Amino acid sequence: KTFFIPLFTMASSQLLLFVIVGKNEPLYEAEFHKLGGTSSGTSDSVTRQNYFVLHSALDLVDKASWTTNNMYLRVVDKINHQQVSTFLTAGNIKFMLLHGGKNEDSIKNFFNEVYELYVKLSMNPFYKYDTPITSKFFDTRVRAVARRYLS
Amino acid sequence: MSKSVAAASGHALWAKMPKANAELFALTYGSLVTELIRDYDSIEEINEQLEKMGYSIGVRCVDEFLAKSEQHGMTVPTCQNLKDTAEVVAKTGFRMFLGISCDVTMAPDGNAFSLFMYENPLALFVELPKTNDMPTAAGGATKKWEDLKYSNLYCGILRGSLEQINLRVSCEYIRDVLQGEEVNEIRVTLREVLQDGAGDDYKEE
Repeated sequence: KTFFIPLFTMASSQLLLFVIVGKNEPLYEAEFHKLGGTSSGTSDSVTRQNYFVLHSALDLVDKASWTTNNMYLRVVDKINHQQVSTFLTAGNIKFMLLHGGKNEDSIKNFFNEVYELYVKLSMNPFYKYDTPITSKFFDTRVRAVARRYLS
Repeated sequence: MSKSVAAASGHALWAKMPKANAELFALTYGSLVTELIRDYDSIEEINEQLEKMGYSIGVRCVDEFLAKSEQHGMTVPTCQNLKDTAEVVAKTGFRMFLGISCDVTMAPDGNAFSLFMYENPLALFVELPKTNDMPTAAGGATKKWEDLKYSNLYCGILRGSLEQINLRVSCEYIRDVLQGEEVNEIRVTLREVLQDGAGDDYKEE
């Protein structure tokens, strides 16, 4: 049986999906809308498709992690008009960004800034490694960084 | 003792003390608190344990304070009243051991004072979780994050050190930056001025 995935290319190139994935489950998710994009245009199936794309890239991330010493793994997967970029932290936590093919530098800077926020979060004695991130503070900061680098 | 003398001594003594890494200090304290949370059932017990630990520290702190200031030629003039004691504790003591400056205000009746700390070296990186309950030991009562006095160690330190100089006090954490307030406030109330003495056993016949 063929699997039919609806293609909503217009809406998806305006939407950026950022997920932090731990060993077993996603730890943090955030969607960013580019300035001027339609923020009310994303439907449920687009969101589901985005998550599907991101999670199917996980195997490719593992494969790519063996090829380089860097934390920043660049683009690991290309689907339709979207690309998945990944950053691996020292503790093997994966930062993954689904985007419409922006320039690499701004994505690299974005990942580095989020990494600093993540390190600060993990210094909190009450945050256990590899558990879902519930801190509002972290969320606000990540969104501010995204606005600065990704729009 | 004037404020500026206390502050100046504090500053000078801080420069002469051996230093420790602030992050190591804060992280060690953080893991201590998380262990306590795992071990004890009720918040009151945790707060009490922190205070007891502080008490042991405080008992030793005051001797070090007096010895070090003697050693470096800084005389700490005898305090005439609680106000002087409060100034010395806030400006010299805290400065010397932690490198932070505190503000102090006296209560109107002169029997209590409040210490205000704007920065807390013990709570570097700490953010209390927003979830409702704390992890409990199996079968324990539910505990709330807002009842936790994270830096209760300070209260114990104050109580311990002041008791060694014959002032019996009770200390309480009133406001905490971790709980969302602007400043850390500790209220110290004088209960009793103890009499010098070695106790009944040593009374002369």
